[in-house]
Amino acid sequence: MAEASIEFKGSSFTLSVLHLKTSRLSGFRDDLKTKVAQAPDFFYLVPIVVDIERVDSSIDYQAVKLLVEEFKFTFVGFTGNVSKEQRKFIRELGFSFINSANSSVNSSISSTEKAEATTKAVKANEAIVVKVEQTKIFPQVSLFTDKIHRGQIRSGQQIYAKDQNLVIIGSVSAGAEVIADGNIHVYGSLRGRAIAGAKGHHQAQIYCQNLEAELVSINGNYWLSESMEQHWNSPAYIHLSDTELVSSKLI
Amino acid sequence: MARIIVVTSGKGGVGKTTSSAAIGIGLALKGHKVVLIDFDIGLRNLDLIMGCERRVVYDFVNVINGEATLNQALIKDKRVSSLSILPASQTRDKDALNKENVGKVLEDLGKRFDYIICDSPAGIEAGAMMALYYADEAIVTTNPEVSSVRDSDRILGMLASRSRRAELGLEPIKEHLLLTRYSPKRVEEGEMLSVEDVEDILAIPLLGVIPESQAVLKASNAGEPVILDTESDAGKAYQDVIDRLLGETVEFRFLVAEKKGILSRLFGG
Repeated sequence: MAEASIEFKGSSFTLSVLHLKTSRLSGFRDDLKTKVAQAPDFFYLVPIVVDIERVDSSIDYQAVKLLVEEFKFTFVGFTGNVSKEQRKFIRELGFSFINSANSSVNSSISSTEKAEATTKAVKANEAIVVKVEQTKIFPQVSLFTDKIHRGQIRSGQQIYAKDQNLVIIGSVSAGAEVIADGNIHVYGSLRGRAIAGAKGHHQAQIYCQNLEAELVSINGNYWLSESMEQHWNSPAYIHLSDTELVSSKLI
Repeated sequence: MARIIVVTSGKGGVGKTTSSAAIGIGLALKGHKVVLIDFDIGLRNLDLIMGCERRVVYDFVNVINGEATLNQALIKDKRVSSLSILPASQTRDKDALNKENVGKVLEDLGKRFDYIICDSPAGIEAGAMMALYYADEAIVTTNPEVSSVRDSDRILGMLASRSRRAELGLEPIKEHLLLTRYSPKRVEEGEMLSVEDVEDILAIPLLGVIPESQAVLKASNAGEPVILDTESDAGKAYQDVIDRLLGETVEFRFLVAEKKGILSRLFGG
């Protein structure tokens, strides 16, 4: 039998919930505007669920949706501890209603419980597949600056580029150690140890003109020289695919 | 101002003292005023290689402690009058030296000599650090084998970070690579690192390649630095080193194995 082209699976995501405290849409709009203005990038295309527990059941649901979309959120659905009738009404209007397990996403419950609640809610809703990237709270990590070192890194020397990429114009000798929170570029031979993404940066990579390293490590995953046979003694770069290190030909 | 040159290596037994002696005599023979200092306190060797071990009365440590003047401690070479030797103490250890006093002695010597050659002890401890601290130039003596190259690399790191020039942010120490005990035959057989291999790893300019030679051992035992043996390959190679140190461009010799002719094969070369 041919494999199905699609598959439904329950999965849990962290979604932002916007709690409405007033039924007056104008006040809501002003507050939202102020909030978004503080960090426009952060809120851009963020999936959002609107909690309507504390507002009038007669609120204009369509208007709420349009309002959050106006501020570039991705509207997902409504949630909150409301009556069965109201839920039914919302669904009839064509919106998703996400049930939370303990009827309300109480702010006092822990984040794991919240995640569970969301899972259950999503499952209860017959698998809504919401494909969203995990929202990053920090600005783009690619804003790393470069620390540039001209000359050899000798045996016994150690260089650390804190919160930076490390660029070495020269070779890294056996017994030397180069460490960066970002990427490492070696314009020369890499014979020592290179540790990229030291603070936990999955996308960090290590580039060198000649790979003869004692050890390479990215985000805690490491290789000793015996694992580098494929591109040994040639220009190569090392990166992470999921949790495995991969080496590729550089030029 | 005198040029202070440290002969160093990290690893022991690679030929620092042999090279110091040869370079000291070689520069003096060219008419320069040279002083050779043995920094290997407690393992005094330079005087033996120079053949002046019976003339040691006062030593470097005595001068440092103010127990003797420089004039009393300096031994004038009998072969070349412009060369003097400041021997190490055999009864003390390396802690007898301190930066401040060594600096004073070097300053005094600098007024009288053109070249101060510091023969460093092996290792990366206080003694070796003291020998390289005031250097303007360094001759990194290396054998063509991995452990010696690794240790030289470590010393090069120290030169760049722990010297006076590094601490004061002055122009860095000028580094020279001196490859000793080189055997082109064993390189061809893949038993020894080649000049290119070592240059590639250490990435510093090559000052000289001294071939492995019976003449070196003979010279050391006789207290006659090998550079005086002008017939030997090693003596000639050291001569080239002197010329390069003085700024001349000299082609490298003894890098390929000699092809033995049928006659020398029959009668032994």
